[in-house]
Amino acid sequence: MLTALIPLVALALASCAQGTGSGVATVEETVEVAAQASRVDVPADHPSLSEQEQLIACADCHRDTTPDVYDSWYASTHGIGNVKCYQCHGTYEDMKVAPAVSNCATCHADMITKQADAPACWTCHPAHTFDPHAE
Amino acid sequence: MNAISRRQFIKRAAALTAASYVGMKLPFFLADAQGQDADTWTRGTCRLCGVGCRLELGLRNGKPVALRGVSDSRTNLGYLCMKGMLFHKIMEHPDRLTKPLYREKKSDDFREISWEEALDIAAQKFVDVKTEYGSDACAYYGSGQAQTEETYFFQKVMRAGLQTNNVEGNPRLCMASAVGGYLTSFGADEPIGGYSDIEQCYYFFIIGSNMAEAHPVIWRRVMRRKLDNPDTVKVVNADPRISATSRIADLHLQFDPGTDLALLNAMAHVIIEEDLVDHDFLRDYCVFKKGGDTIDFDQFAKDVAEYTPEKAAEICGGSMNPDDIRKTARWFANSKGTMSMWCMGINQRKRGVWANNLIHNLHLLTGQLCKPGADSFSLTGQPNACGGVREGGGLCHILPGHRPVAKDPLRKDVERLWGVPEGRIPPKPGYHTMAMFSAVNDRKIRAIWINCTSPAQSLPNLTPYRDGMAQDEVFVVVTDVFATKTTEVANLVLPTAFHFEKTGVYGCTERRSQITPKAKDAPGEAMPEVWMIREWARRMGEKLNDPVFAKVIEPFEGLEPDFDLPKAIWDEYTQKLTKGRDNDLRGATYDVLLQMPDGVQWPAPTEKFALTGGAVKKFVRGKDPLVEEHGEGDAPYVFYGPAHADKKLYVWFRPHALPGEVPDDEYPMYLSTGRIIDHWHTTSMTGRIPELLRANPYSFVEINPKDAERMGIKPNDMIEITTRRGKVTMPARVMEGPLEGTVFAYWHDMAESRMINKVVNDVFDPGSQEPEFKIGACRIRPVSGPRDLDPVVTQL
Repeated sequence: MLTALIPLVALALASCAQGTGSGVATVEETVEVAAQASRVDVPADHPSLSEQEQLIACADCHRDTTPDVYDSWYASTHGIGNVKCYQCHGTYEDMKVAPAVSNCATCHADMITKQADAPACWTCHPAHTFDPHAE
Repeated sequence: MNAISRRQFIKRAAALTAASYVGMKLPFFLADAQGQDADTWTRGTCRLCGVGCRLELGLRNGKPVALRGVSDSRTNLGYLCMKGMLFHKIMEHPDRLTKPLYREKKSDDFREISWEEALDIAAQKFVDVKTEYGSDACAYYGSGQAQTEETYFFQKVMRAGLQTNNVEGNPRLCMASAVGGYLTSFGADEPIGGYSDIEQCYYFFIIGSNMAEAHPVIWRRVMRRKLDNPDTVKVVNADPRISATSRIADLHLQFDPGTDLALLNAMAHVIIEEDLVDHDFLRDYCVFKKGGDTIDFDQFAKDVAEYTPEKAAEICGGSMNPDDIRKTARWFANSKGTMSMWCMGINQRKRGVWANNLIHNLHLLTGQLCKPGADSFSLTGQPNACGGVREGGGLCHILPGHRPVAKDPLRKDVERLWGVPEGRIPPKPGYHTMAMFSAVNDRKIRAIWINCTSPAQSLPNLTPYRDGMAQDEVFVVVTDVFATKTTEVANLVLPTAFHFEKTGVYGCTERRSQITPKAKDAPGEAMPEVWMIREWARRMGEKLNDPVFAKVIEPFEGLEPDFDLPKAIWDEYTQKLTKGRDNDLRGATYDVLLQMPDGVQWPAPTEKFALTGGAVKKFVRGKDPLVEEHGEGDAPYVFYGPAHADKKLYVWFRPHALPGEVPDDEYPMYLSTGRIIDHWHTTSMTGRIPELLRANPYSFVEINPKDAERMGIKPNDMIEITTRRGKVTMPARVMEGPLEGTVFAYWHDMAESRMINKVVNDVFDPGSQEPEFKIGACRIRPVSGPRDLDPVVTQL
């Protein structure tokens, strides 16, 4: 899963750098470019789920299927703060492996505005740990 | 899916897999809701808990597509939980109620009618009941989610128009014990401090609250304070159940449900025994009370000395170490700023007021009050329980501005301010919530207007009360945005505007009033409640030939309903009814509220002061502008609360007392109930948001692994929970959450077989009349392995 993310993140970064330019961007301007680049379909290796199966919380399975991701998230401020998978990655039909920056903007609009020239959030705040100083 | 096969995947979730999918609509809004898609943003307040998060609703071509936090808001600092980031998805949901619906008998089908007919019917039915059975056969039951303008206007019509104090609301079910605690300890309702204390606090004493799920954005601030200062900031979580809130705790104190009165008294004893007392604070500001008597410090010390840590640990069930009680008491007293935080675990109790008093006692004994980072801080459950219901006159015993109905001068004051004849408002308080629905059962109440809440799902011991509401002899009006379990027992269903489809004010936990202006039209024929109230009242006045009704609505006649009408109501309430009261809101005009990113904390008597944000701390000289009016000399604090004429804070001796039910041979376990982060109350809203529904599609019951092993219960087995009031069945989660001997069930489910409130005890606190949702006795048994289940959201 983590390996699969790398090219997607790179794509998002490239687009973001092109789009933001210099100066102060609005949140809307910032998120638009990143969002276009980062929206990704449900990954091909995710099993299709019936409507009933879609009623299972993501973490119930990903605790076992992607334990590294789960453990990183659980120990992070998002984990302690109960920011759940679907808040960044969407739900089954509109799932994004790499979230749009606009998802981050829901809570972190001020940082995105202040860091208008910065690459996408997760470049420095790695996905699921969010700690720029973590290994 | 490398580490687990699809087969294993499905097997793991067996309880949640099902062949059938009956009666469920899951409309999806695919690929929408991203911020970049919005073309306009309107700033308002979230309505899905009591925190008061400020957010902006994004519209694209007039359609709601996104929500985002307001970074410069002092409530949420820009953060939102999943409910706050997703509720835009229900605003144009196909299930929205869009036309008035009526049926003469409750066994009939509803038929669509015009507003003209609907308002005529509502007026005629209440007039008929008043004429035949008297004013007190009429009732209003409102909500902590209604806007202040709505609650204020409803209660004005009920009291001065229909001449009954049968005005109640669901805050009776969640916050009444906190009100009772604040009034009896501090002489004034609502917290002295606010959220800004969190970043200055060094010791968080969290008791009876899973704030990580019930108040997630305030939790985030507490979490950040602890994580940024892991060695200097301490957190204790005292609760019968280990929860998400325990994750940052230095110490978790687990006790049998209802035994925390002993724990709190033992902490007071340790503080006195080890002389951790702030004697100056006690001397200058406090008196000691026991029953109806004033006692001295020595007597109080002697009374609490009975509760040694060893004895308290034993009363609490033996799960905690007496030395941990000593440790938490020392931390409480010695920190540079201590905040207590609590919610339903303290309030929904037969002795909820006492539990509140005992928390306040700790702050008074140690002087952990009024200074930065120190407060005895009750978390509120709903977005406008404080602002609308507690302040706006939404309970049977209080008039607007914290005026008790029974106080003649204050009642006459209100009559004069409203311009209605003296004696128009009856002096006797109306029925409190549980008495109100008992009166419905007994047909003493024959007409009831239920606004923005669903008692047919949320009352304890639900079945007899729901049967009462279902009687054809009782005319039931329901105003709401969606069908609920209560529309199932209604005669008349009136479609209302959602917030952001109308203008109004919410007042959150920390005395903060915040406006949400209209951003878009409501769907179909849905209308703001304030318009309905005016039209209904005018018709009743005409039918009764009673000119006082016209006087009641006179200031509001001719005003358009989206802004001018609620503004006129807010102006009357704030400028007339809060003048001279402790919740003085005269400075918090619509003009000011619309300028502020995060509203105003009362008291705020002038616009100039309100534009600073208002009073961060009540009763503190230099921060509270009313101190100069009430205080002589230069004391730093003046406790001018309306309930204590002596301007003193009361330290109450309250003995340990048992809950209404304790386990016995027939019902050997404790049953407790509560909330989960993804859902709000009955799920009539959050159950219609796919992400939130999927996160927790059913109620479930948490069972301690030792109990599960003893009873042969495995995860996802179906568990029958039986109490003296009935039985329900729901899936098991086996986890180190509740203590051995206790089970914990969630109430966010509309399925008849899983509605936990059917079996919850309806005994209530004699002081606050708040029911004991949190504690009862039950027995459980597994009835099957994992079973197919359907999520249920009520349809008309």
